[in-house]
Amino acid sequence: MVQAATHDAMPERALEGLRVIECGEMVAAAYAAKLMADLGADVIKVEPPRDGDAARRRGPFPGKQSDPEQSGLFLYLNTNKRGITLDLQQPRGQDIFNRLVSDADLVIHNFSPRDMPRLGLDFAEFAKRNPRLILVSITPFGLDGPHAKWHTTDLTLWNAGGIAYLNGGGPGHDDLPPLKAFGQQAEFQGGLNAAIAGLGAVFARLQDDKGQHVVVSIQECLAAILELTYEYYPYMGLIASRLGQKPIQPLDFLECKDGWIFVCCVEEHQWQTLVELMGSPEWAQMELFENRIARAANWDACKLFLQEWASTQSVDELYHAGQARRIPLAPVSTMADLLASNHLKTRGFFAVVEHPRAGSVTIPGAPYGFGRTPWDLRRPAPLLGQHTVEILIDRLGMTASDLDDLHQRGII
Amino acid sequence: MKSRRPLEGIRVADFTWVWAGPFCTLQLAHLGAEVIRIETATRPCVTRMLPPWRDGKPGVNRSGYFNQYNQGKLSLALDLKNPRAVEIAKELVAHSDVVCENFAAGVMQRFGLGYEALTAVKPDIIMIAMSGYGATGPEHEYVSYGPAQVPLSGMSSLTGYPGWPPMHVGISYGDPTGGLHGAFAVLAALVYRQRTGRGQFIDLSQQETSIAVLPEGVLPYTMNGEQLPRDGNRDPFMAPHGVYRCAGEQRWVAIAVRDDEEWQRLASAIGSPELSRDKRYATLGARKANEDGLDEIVTGWTLKHSPEEITASLQALGIASSPSFNSKDISEDPHLNQGGNFVELEHREVGRMRHIGVPWRMSATPCEVARPAPCLGEHIDYVMSKILGRSSAEIAALKEAGVLH
Repeated sequence: MVQAATHDAMPERALEGLRVIECGEMVAAAYAAKLMADLGADVIKVEPPRDGDAARRRGPFPGKQSDPEQSGLFLYLNTNKRGITLDLQQPRGQDIFNRLVSDADLVIHNFSPRDMPRLGLDFAEFAKRNPRLILVSITPFGLDGPHAKWHTTDLTLWNAGGIAYLNGGGPGHDDLPPLKAFGQQAEFQGGLNAAIAGLGAVFARLQDDKGQHVVVSIQECLAAILELTYEYYPYMGLIASRLGQKPIQPLDFLECKDGWIFVCCVEEHQWQTLVELMGSPEWAQMELFENRIARAANWDACKLFLQEWASTQSVDELYHAGQARRIPLAPVSTMADLLASNHLKTRGFFAVVEHPRAGSVTIPGAPYGFGRTPWDLRRPAPLLGQHTVEILIDRLGMTASDLDDLHQRGII
Repeated sequence: MKSRRPLEGIRVADFTWVWAGPFCTLQLAHLGAEVIRIETATRPCVTRMLPPWRDGKPGVNRSGYFNQYNQGKLSLALDLKNPRAVEIAKELVAHSDVVCENFAAGVMQRFGLGYEALTAVKPDIIMIAMSGYGATGPEHEYVSYGPAQVPLSGMSSLTGYPGWPPMHVGISYGDPTGGLHGAFAVLAALVYRQRTGRGQFIDLSQQETSIAVLPEGVLPYTMNGEQLPRDGNRDPFMAPHGVYRCAGEQRWVAIAVRDDEEWQRLASAIGSPELSRDKRYATLGARKANEDGLDEIVTGWTLKHSPEEITASLQALGIASSPSFNSKDISEDPHLNQGGNFVELEHREVGRMRHIGVPWRMSATPCEVARPAPCLGEHIDYVMSKILGRSSAEIAALKEAGVLH
């Protein structure tokens, strides 16, 4: 993809010309490759024949009717990609994969190091055919070490990374377990880090023209986002937990008459303005609540007063009234709230993808706006094996009878 | 020959603060960019003012929070309220490739450091603004704090124990998610600039990057009008799927059983022959229908063991499991200790403290944290003399005048 600009028409998209092969399951590799595809990279998604990627079985499905071509998670994660099927467990499947790899820039996968050898995911072999290839392996725990071959899911990784332990019932609820965040967030974090490290390697290759193997450890990605909590241990010998009292308040959820609001007063003037917004009730003048630390120490009482007031308010009115006074309130947005948000509508955030089977599907759109090179939707997620013929014939020069044979053997 | 890091030679003028922005520039520093934080001594970064402090003693250079997320960066301290300081900042931008900021929308313009002003001094500059709500739209000037992004983005409405109020996720999750999307966007813009010579402005909204990782919440609504109920640690396609109490004080283990065959293996580990034959748990559908009872059975077993024992026996059977690690567990984890993630570099004020390092390995261009987080203004002399070519007398005069501090 590295060519002098003067010879070409100016590329329209940031990653135009970048050739990516993605073979992954569920979220992590698919999200890393989606980030690239949505900025113009040419991504080929390789799925196992018959069942395809596990995200096809995850849903949600329109009308709740399970259909591998209509899984919402799959449709979201695979926009702008072409798709082929290939059985990487068979030697001929691996041969074809190797031929695809020989003119690719990046291969991104999220198979465990346990499975990499039998799927032929071997950097040294790839590098013989294509010394410029960048292989990105998104792994639970890296390639080596005592836990490298552990069996994992998103939940077990979120716990291995230390984040679950920080979240849960709070003071007085030590019977309740550490709590995961919604969605497959360990995988998303792995995918984001892989996209960064992978593109870092692409940038490095612009200078030295050499490929390399990039290995991401999801456990390390999660340990990297423990905010200030991890450092309590090395710096002060303390262990942060979900059972501790918050150091300052209010930073809490209150129930309004039509939903929930998050009340956040970090600075004293924000609290004072909130008190004015409440009509300067007498209780707010009590010494118990005189500063953010006192309010945290006496939060049970403070919250009762605040909750009583909040229950008479509407979320949306309170949110805008607070923000107009520079109080950082936030609605506890439901999905309906997000889709109805005037702000997000004005920014054009949600996008509609037209899919041959699922019809018009509204998905989260561009997470950033580029001034010069657009994020755009050029094609919906591929049907299973939709581009197998096109890619094997056009890119690899195979014949229709080769394809028949591969099909009969269950390789494609 | 020592291998170059991927972004060696790329300079980032880093106007970010708190967590989201510094987390973006941390990734660029990890990749070898020279990241220069433009700070101000009169209003130091929020994270310099927050614990944990080395030995419990507060100080702008003593916070573990700041020192974790600013590893490998340099610090220039300027008073941006002073027009001469703004000129220096602009001059630095003229010598940089990338500008990052996460102030509320409009703040950089008020300093005279908006994108238009910066392209005047550096036409191919790449600039990313990462505010809470983005640079446009009716709410773009709203105040955004990290903890408020999780509810604002919709994540809290989906996270929590069944029947409980909406909850947080334990960290200000919108910050790292925004910062990582920002780092990726900057890299894409760098690749584009390398090919075309053109820079650009990138508008990132932390709210939007947080929604980008919630497709499993958004799509049930856009497809079927459904707001998913909060369901704790459970999963629609796996059971048991939870975090279970173990022997000891606040010891927990996460277990996820992916299919019926794995359930048979778990039942054998629990060691009750009747359980393997119990129809109430034989299939995923049956286990989901009887999940409360199922979780009680699993807890009855986990309570008798440590999380490490449970994990060892389940891993041997091919079942996904892990202790629920706290920060001490992470520090002492034999796997992490063997893998080379931890960074312990000599810092002027806190000495050698353990930090979490680069979460990836590169075979040809290894990424290592090059230096500890900077003390406030530590690199004034380097930036002013080596990059901007000022003499020591000029630097002294600027310090005297309060432009640098």
